[in-house]
Amino acid sequence: MRVLGIETTCDETAASVVERGEDGSARILSNVVLSQVKKHAAYGGVVPEIASRAHIDAIDRVVAQALTDAETDISDIDGVSAAAGPGLIGGVIVGLTTAKALAFAAGKPFLAVNHLEGHALTARLTDGVEFPYLLLLVSGGHSQLLAVEGVGKYRRLGTTIDDAIGEAFDKVAKLLGLGYPGGPQVEKAAESGDSSRFNFPRPMIGRAEPNFSLAGLKTAVRIEAEKIAPLSDRDIADLCASFQAAVIDMVLDRVRVALQMFKAQFGHPSALVVAGGVAANAALRGGLERMSEHFRVKLVAPPLDLCGDNGAMIAWAGAERLALGLTDPLDTAPRARWPLDEKSALPGARA
Amino acid sequence: MRVLAIDTALAACSVAVLDTKIDEILGAETVLMERGHAEALMPLVEAVLGGHSGLASIDRIVVSTGPGSFTGIRVGLAAVRGLTLVTKIPVIGITTLVALAAPVLAHGDGRAVGAAIDARHGRVFFQIFAPNGQGLVPARVLLAKDASRMAGEGAIRLVGSGAQLVAAASHAKHEIVSGEQVPDPVWLARLGAAAPLPDRLPRPVYLRPADAKPQTAGRVERI
Repeated sequence: MRVLGIETTCDETAASVVERGEDGSARILSNVVLSQVKKHAAYGGVVPEIASRAHIDAIDRVVAQALTDAETDISDIDGVSAAAGPGLIGGVIVGLTTAKALAFAAGKPFLAVNHLEGHALTARLTDGVEFPYLLLLVSGGHSQLLAVEGVGKYRRLGTTIDDAIGEAFDKVAKLLGLGYPGGPQVEKAAESGDSSRFNFPRPMIGRAEPNFSLAGLKTAVRIEAEKIAPLSDRDIADLCASFQAAVIDMVLDRVRVALQMFKAQFGHPSALVVAGGVAANAALRGGLERMSEHFRVKLVAPPLDLCGDNGAMIAWAGAERLALGLTDPLDTAPRARWPLDEKSALPGARA
Repeated sequence: MRVLAIDTALAACSVAVLDTKIDEILGAETVLMERGHAEALMPLVEAVLGGHSGLASIDRIVVSTGPGSFTGIRVGLAAVRGLTLVTKIPVIGITTLVALAAPVLAHGDGRAVGAAIDARHGRVFFQIFAPNGQGLVPARVLLAKDASRMAGEGAIRLVGSGAQLVAAASHAKHEIVSGEQVPDPVWLARLGAAAPLPDRLPRPVYLRPADAKPQTAGRVERI
């Protein structure tokens, strides 16, 4: 089956056609991602109304390109899926409404996909990973550890109690004047830095619940930076390297705890899967690589172009759902918040 | 010509199908709502068209482009973008101000018509039309008192959710046209049927920039 997927929950307008074989095999036929980064750069973060305007201006072009690239006519599509949240509601509405109209006009099933489910199932798209597996989902909006038991079956083991990891990278970049988006900038600056110069706190380490906390670490970077200002390039590189090292130490410790928790509850995971924009960070990947060897669990990290938000993951999650007969009605509501594991969502948690 | 009209720009979700040759309304629904357009629209389109197959007989799609709720405008435009991507049916955009003024102008009494939509904080989206239907000034967003000044000394007829605001700010005795404060989708269909086909898809008419300011605060000083 072929599914068209649309993603507009943040600052990427994206569409893709993915083919799923009856045996669960996958092929990405097209993957068009139009980034709005330049439109938001001056604001140091994503401005929701600017994002929504950019989505509506680009959506039909992006979808048409995805169909053309896939050499697929809409009549050959078996279903149309869209990310119905969580995310910036104005953007979600654009992609969701476009997908509903496409599905209706083509007379095909409509599938409302949770954006996080898209990230969660990417490892099955790229590597055919079997259930159950441990997922580390790290992006600008989310930082979670989840047990993925099946399509639509997720148990949250841990989450951030304040900022998302990608958000913390963005805030540190902003503080140091490195531009937006901050993650890649901080990583680049950290390459030439001395990670031992500043001894930043490692929040949460040793705690029994595999949760994250970034707010205190971010504040520690600010205090240190203000103490030694004005900052030289050397200072910035060292601050970034020290900050990144602290984040990675925390993440690895949290994953270690989550792995033990997973084994106790679900048995040995078929893989440790990392997904989301922060999964593109090479230092984090390196750390996870070493840890997975130590724990004898396979590490699966998506290729870089599937780490950030994309339409292929939405198309794939839609295909997995369609294969199970899980379709959605045309009155499906957009959702700003939509936890994968609704039962254990903390009050006030964004996802 | 058979026309499908869609409006989600203001406080309603509306769909109509009109056969313009005999001016027969084949279906029309208006559901008043402040929010929830994204949920309501496609089921309403499906109901008014009588299912997916109803789309096959449509020759033209008309959509309201704003001004109005930014999110509402995009619901309608996203839907027509999806519909036309599959069907290649031509799409026409009509502003909410034109759609509100048209039925009033049709019952002409020689007076100009001002369409005013409440844009909050004492402002209105506003446009004045001559009795022959021609827009006398471009649509804009302005304070109600400036809108009333633009209306001039003579009494005009005012329509829309901002009509009261403009009338209250004015010395002249304007008439407020009673009735719905949202576009009639049947009129939207008529206007769209009469309009020349543009060479590109309609775009949103926001009349207001996105509210955002560049940020540099909080940055630590560099050498």
